[in-house]
Amino acid sequence: MSDPRPTNRPVLAADAAGDAVGAWEAMPRRRLAFLGRWHNPIGIVGAAVIGFNVLLALFGALVWSVDPDAQDAERLLPPSWGNPMGTDELGRDVLARIIHGAQVSLQVGAIAVGIALVAGTLIGLFAGFHRGVVDAVLMRVVDLMFAFPGLVLAIVIAGLLGPSRRNAMIAIGIVITPAFARVVRGAVLEVMGFPYIESTRALGASSRRVMTRHLLPNIAAPLIVLVTVYLSTAILAEAALSFLGLGTQPPEASWGGMLNTARSYIDAAWWLSIFPGAAIMFVCLGFNFLGDGLRDILDPRLGPTVGDIPVKK
Amino acid sequence: MIPTVVGISIIIFLMVRLMPGDIIDILFGADIQVSEEEKQQARIALGIEGSYPEQYWNWASGVVTGDFGQSFRNAEPVLDVLLRAVPITFELMILSLLIAVLIGVPLGVISAVRRDSSSDYAARVGGLVGISIPNFWLATLLLLFTSRVFGWVPPLGYVSFFDDPLTNLTQFVLPAISISVFTLAIVMRMVRATMLEVLSQDYVRTARAKGVQRRLVIYRHALRNALIPVVTVVGFEIGILMGGAAIVEIIFGLPGVGYVLLNSIFNRDYPLVQGATLMIAVIFVLANLLVDIVYGWLDPRISQH
Repeated sequence: MSDPRPTNRPVLAADAAGDAVGAWEAMPRRRLAFLGRWHNPIGIVGAAVIGFNVLLALFGALVWSVDPDAQDAERLLPPSWGNPMGTDELGRDVLARIIHGAQVSLQVGAIAVGIALVAGTLIGLFAGFHRGVVDAVLMRVVDLMFAFPGLVLAIVIAGLLGPSRRNAMIAIGIVITPAFARVVRGAVLEVMGFPYIESTRALGASSRRVMTRHLLPNIAAPLIVLVTVYLSTAILAEAALSFLGLGTQPPEASWGGMLNTARSYIDAAWWLSIFPGAAIMFVCLGFNFLGDGLRDILDPRLGPTVGDIPVKK
Repeated sequence: MIPTVVGISIIIFLMVRLMPGDIIDILFGADIQVSEEEKQQARIALGIEGSYPEQYWNWASGVVTGDFGQSFRNAEPVLDVLLRAVPITFELMILSLLIAVLIGVPLGVISAVRRDSSSDYAARVGGLVGISIPNFWLATLLLLFTSRVFGWVPPLGYVSFFDDPLTNLTQFVLPAISISVFTLAIVMRMVRATMLEVLSQDYVRTARAKGVQRRLVIYRHALRNALIPVVTVVGFEIGILMGGAAIVEIIFGLPGVGYVLLNSIFNRDYPLVQGATLMIAVIFVLANLLVDIVYGWLDPRISQH
């Protein structure tokens, strides 16, 4: 309970969170310099995919200026030059709706992860800094949150708050907060052990100053990895909630919602099922590639091989 | 274990209570003919009368004796509804875990042993695709594929395994594949990572140096130790499988726990929401406990502590 990794097994929380902690522990202390030695194809592909998606969300509607809600085309048209991804059951252009969906998913991802980042950092910082009872109580609650399967908890919270995009964002934010709290606390505990914190205290720095000027900057690196990982989780969760009717509500376009309606036209219009799902996968793939690339760079444990046996560097 | 379950039940209880909207107003809707007294009686009947500690005590003491309350909708005992649903979710999860482990472990070993070969790259990219593909899309794709290519759709209406094993399995194969792919990819990636780490240990080199066959070193010496962290990951995956199961149960019309939970949420059937969420969380906690036991059993270093 005192350490995020009580035994020598990896953190249960999430494969992703565990990896992030591992990456943090193995990370050279002058981090972020890794951006300079970025000769890692998987990571670059991931960054490019995410960049493309951000551009699509920001400027896609300017390039393909079709109203995603206009019902002026014929219904269920297969893909053609006029409608590259076909039209849906109400005659709306699927490409325009995919672009709108990109905005929705990016917004939900950013806000949900933002909620978790702020709340998780505060919880982790206070628990790790004050220790004692505050720590015990906060971490007990965090442990309890991990006792629920994440998506199920998101479904229940979003469902009870009432189906809407705002509530889906809140639900996803709440569900991923514990992961951030745990990682921040672990990192804070590690940094607190360094002598320079003690000397700062001895020089008379207030708790607030130690937290904001000395702790926060030094735990930024694992947070960056965690944000990449959980952005993809949040986007996937938004799609799942919208698919179930608990997220973005029709007629507004969202990838999950589009897939949900597509189920009724599975025999008549395959393009309705293909494109929104491909869009979700494309974005998640981007984040996972980036995360993998970051981890490869940050984790020096895996060295070259000699013959058929890999050896340590 | 027990404190965890108590904590979980308190969280679920509070979650359901703190959400906006009064169930009584929803139940009676805009019917202004209903008097305050009738509403009060309905509250008592539904067990949502009195202070929160009282309500919690009534609910929790019932749960301990197997009384989860009654569904708002049709007054059926919640426990009966759940007991009907649990085997379906169980079967789905066991099938998908089997698929994930039986395919994921060998793929991970191959990928690690042939590190940086083309098959390693194929497996790694495949693994990344596997963790990125949304299970509900995969389910849709599988349905699209089987109906277009084979003109086949899974038989509708759930059939128990004990009544008709063949029909039952044909119903479960597509949903099980849809939710297993993510876990399969995670297991594969994990096995690859731990195998790489174990293969770089001194004892592996020693075994190789003293002339033990390559195959034996890989499967007898390395894989055994490499599998230990994988067990933990599988334990965590159970939670993801349960979330996935909830979605594919809806898609394929299998009335499992997730299906019950979603319907009860849309119906604002609070006793059922509470019961189903508690059931899912408890199964998850038990699964993790089981994993811990298996873990200590696989790795004697743990149980010595």
